[in-house]
Order: sequence, then structure tokens, then C-alpha cells
Amino acid sequence: MSDPVISLHQVRKHYQDISVLDIPQLELNTGIYWLKGENGAGKTTCMKVMAGLLPFQGDITINNTVNARQHPVQFRRLINYAEAEPLYPAFLTGRDLLQLYFRTKGGEREPILELASRMGVDNFVNNPVSSYSSGMLKKLSLLLAFAGNPAIILLDEPLITIDTRTLEILYDVIRTWHQAGTSFLITSHQPLDPNELSVAGTLTIANRNITLN
Amino acid sequence: MGIFRRIFTGRFYVENTGFFLVLFYFLFGIVNGSNLLYYHLGLMTGFLSSWSFLLLVLFLWLLYTLRITGFVIKTLEQSPYSFLYSTMTCMDDKERRGLWLRLQFQMYLPVFVYGLIAAGVGIFRHYYLPAAIIILFNLLMCIWPVRFYEKKLWQPDVFFFTTRFSRWLDRHFVKPPVLYFYYELFTAFPRKIFTTKLWSAAILWLTFFLMRQSDFMDLRALQLGMIGCVLLHTQLMIHHRAFEEIYLPFMLNLPISTLRNYSRVAGFYVLLLIPEIIIIFFQSNHRFTITEIMTAGITGMTMLLLFRVLLYFPRMNAEVHLRWILLIAFVVLFMILGGALWYAVAGMQLVAALIFFRKFREYEPWIETE
Repeated sequence: MSDPVISLHQVRKHYQDISVLDIPQLELNTGIYWLKGENGAGKTTCMKVMAGLLPFQGDITINNTVNARQHPVQFRRLINYAEAEPLYPAFLTGRDLLQLYFRTKGGEREPILELASRMGVDNFVNNPVSSYSSGMLKKLSLLLAFAGNPAIILLDEPLITIDTRTLEILYDVIRTWHQAGTSFLITSHQPLDPNELSVAGTLTIANRNITLN
Repeated sequence: MGIFRRIFTGRFYVENTGFFLVLFYFLFGIVNGSNLLYYHLGLMTGFLSSWSFLLLVLFLWLLYTLRITGFVIKTLEQSPYSFLYSTMTCMDDKERRGLWLRLQFQMYLPVFVYGLIAAGVGIFRHYYLPAAIIILFNLLMCIWPVRFYEKKLWQPDVFFFTTRFSRWLDRHFVKPPVLYFYYELFTAFPRKIFTTKLWSAAILWLTFFLMRQSDFMDLRALQLGMIGCVLLHTQLMIHHRAFEEIYLPFMLNLPISTLRNYSRVAGFYVLLLIPEIIIIFFQSNHRFTITEIMTAGITGMTMLLLFRVLLYFPRMNAEVHLRWILLIAFVVLFMILGGALWYAVAGMQLVAALIFFRKFREYEPWIETE
């Protein structure tokens, strides 16, 4: 059996006095996973914890070697995250954000710029994000999640807001990136289309814990 | 078109009630009723007969116009009023420009009436040129903002005054993270940063004025002025924290070392005090050496950094923060007076770095529950 791409050990998360996550152990091998759960079950919190956006107790390791606490910079090179409802400072342009991600996440720029062109992001990349519609913002956020050389990409509700043409492109790019070895953790209230993506497992989040089915 | 009057004119006068009360008190409340007419006639004759006084008056009227334009732009940027874009852009060009002109005139009316009376007095007393300048200036103050509002209406994404420049800037310049909060302040809260800087300049001017009066150009007195400037700038810090909490969480997923994040936060406060250092340089007129000026600058920047870093304690609300700021400022002041400045600077730098490196990755906004 191959090494897990991401391992969570004794991961606990509290919002002040309220416990929202308590995951004793979770290991995911390379693949595409669907993370499901009711509203407020903790899907987004779980993703934010994994992506390094929220402090937590416990250990998260990528590729069995890169630990979130011991190697915070290297850890963030290996995990990318696209928010369900992305929010950026109004004055930043798509180009500002792309350059920031290129400079910090590293990796090749060409595939991302090509993807930007396919998704139509290049049409508005020089405008401030304050002028974007929610769909344009979502496209930009999804595009940024593919920057660098991530081992795992977390996509929070990627199927909402975007148009059907972009959805097809997104499914295609997930398949391509996955064939190249990247894993995906995708939250969605709707099941992922089995004709588009073959899911390695379904994760259910309930009672503050995650179980793999 | 009553709805536009309520949205702009009505709200402008309601939101600026305090400002108008203070203004009316100074113009009409501090003078005995029987002398009021002579007081204003004297005031008008004063600025009609003196070019420098007239320039000062015109500058104040310009500031009032900027207050109006700032209010209109802010209204257009607020989401509850986003419907203005879709409705006003459907209007006939001539009708819409006429509407802007009427709205601007209604908000500028107090100054316009005063200016018109002053121009009348000018003509009566044969100050023809100043009277003509006042009339032209007031007409201009009603007309130029219309062009500006039109620009904003058709290009809502443009933040700066000159459209071409801002678009050129967006295409050719990638904004570095250290400047993000400056962009936020200058685009969304310009009044806040400009008034802070204006008061800060006033404190430095007062410091130098007092030093010259007593012929006592001492570094410790300059440091005291710098502490005053630092205390003024602390009002930006809670805002800085809120900005980072709301808009910059995405940066926590970027592989940026804690040291680089520290440099970003420190860099912001280093840049913040550069205008004060320039003012000190020109005000000192070679009475302070470059080393002394830099010493004052480093003290200010260090204090600002420490005060900002204190906010990485999640439970540090504005009230508790202010208490810590005042306590630290007193300790630093006494250390400066006691000749232990560099111990104070080194100590503050060390504490700031320790807090940041310990707290940055662990920081999470604290929700106050009563």
C-alpha cells in the first residue's frame, strides 16, 4: 500500500469554547475524494485547518514527511485551497494575485496561464476584483488553487456559481492534474458526476469526526 | 428626483450635522449679536484685501468641496446604493449631468451663499478682481465634481482620480503585500489617513515651534513629539488588524515564512513614518544631525511595530490595547529622559519579534461575548 498523501492525527479544533472538529486519525491515499456533510457540520473548517488557515491542535502531515507545524512553508507548497466564497481586497487585480501565487507557490506558469485563457480569466485579469461578478471571482480562486506543485488541492464547493462551460473545463483539469499525481478533496452538496470524475472515496463529516467510506 | 436628493443631499447634511454645528458656532456663535454684521464684513474685507488670506479661504472652500466629493463617492461604493449604477446610467446624459450639478450645488450651497455675499461686498468696495475670483472659484467648485462623479459612475472599479493612470498602474505594477493596507487606506478610507497625517504634521510643527521659542533644540524634546505622532497613528492599528482578518486569510495558505510575514508588517510601519522623518529633516534646519533624526524615526517605528504586534493577542480589544499603549509610551518616555533610549528600542524590538513569532501562526480573531 502506498504512503498516504495526507494524514491527520488527533486533530482538534475549537472556536473559543466550542469544539467543532475532533478527528482521531485519518489517512488518505492519492485520489479524488468527495467530502460531504450537512450545513454547519464542519466541512469548510476542516479544509481551512488542512490548508493552514486556522490554528488547530494535533498533527497534519503530507507525504508522510512534511508536517504542518515543523515545516509550515514546505507544507503550504504542497497543499492548495480554493474557498467556497473567495474574498480578496477590492483594489487587487487578478494579475496581482496570480503573480503573488507564482512567486510564492513556485511551479510552472505556462499551464496556469493556459488554463486562465481556457476559463476566460485573461479577459478581466487586469481589472480590480471589486469589478468581478461572483462567478468571475470563483473562476479566479479556482485558477489560483492550481498554481505551484501541490500534492493535494482542496476545493470548497467548486461546482457552485460557475457556468457549465467552466464546469467542463474544471472536471477536465482535475482529471489531468490527478493523472499527474495530484490528489483532490472536494466538498459539494451535490454528488460529483461519476461520468466526469472517478472518486477514490467519500468522506462524511458528522459529529465532529470524518469517516472514509 | 426626490430620491436622489434624499440619498445625497439629505444624508450629507444629516451625517455632517456635528461639523456644521461647530462651523456655525465659530462663524456666528462666538460674536455678540449686535457685532455679527461688522464681524463678517471685517472678515470679508480681510480676505478681499489680502491675497494670502484669500488663498487660505479658497483652500478651505476646496477642502469642503473634497468633503462633498468624498461623501458622494463613498455612497456610490456602498452596496445598498449599487442600484444607482443601473438607474443613473439609464438616464439621458444631459438630464443626469444636470442632476449631478443640482445635487453638488445643494450640498455646496452654504459656501456658495457666503461666497456670493463676499463677492457682493467686494464689488461694493471696489475689490473687483478678488470678487471675480471668488465667483469663478465657487462656480468651478460646483462644476468640476460633476465630471468626477460621471467617471465613477461609468467606471466603478476605478479608485484613483485619474482613470488612465489607475488602469496603467494596474497593468504595469504588481502590488507588493507590504503596500496592501496603504491601498486600502488610500482607496477606501482616504480621510482617515490624510487627517492622521495632518494632525501628525501639526504635532511636529508645534514641537519645533516650542523648541525654537525656548531656544532648546534637544533630541529628547523631539522624541516627545515623535511619541505624540506615534500615539496618533495607533488609531490605524485596529483597522489594520480587521483588514488582515477579513481580506488576507488567503495569504495564510501561501508558503511564506514567518520572518517574511514579520518583514511585511514591520515594513508597513517603517514606510508609515517616512513623511514625519522628512518633515523633521526640513523643520530641523540643520540643528539636528542625520543620526539624531534617524534616532527619532527608529524610536517611532519601533513603538508602532510593538503596538501593532500587541494585537496578535486575540483578546486585545481597542480599550485594553490603548491602556497598554499608554503604559508603554510612559515607560519609553522616562527611559528617553533617563538617557536609556537604545535599551528601550532594543527591548521593544525584542518583545515585538518574540510576540510575532510566537503568535502569528496561532492567531485567530476573538469574538467578544457579553
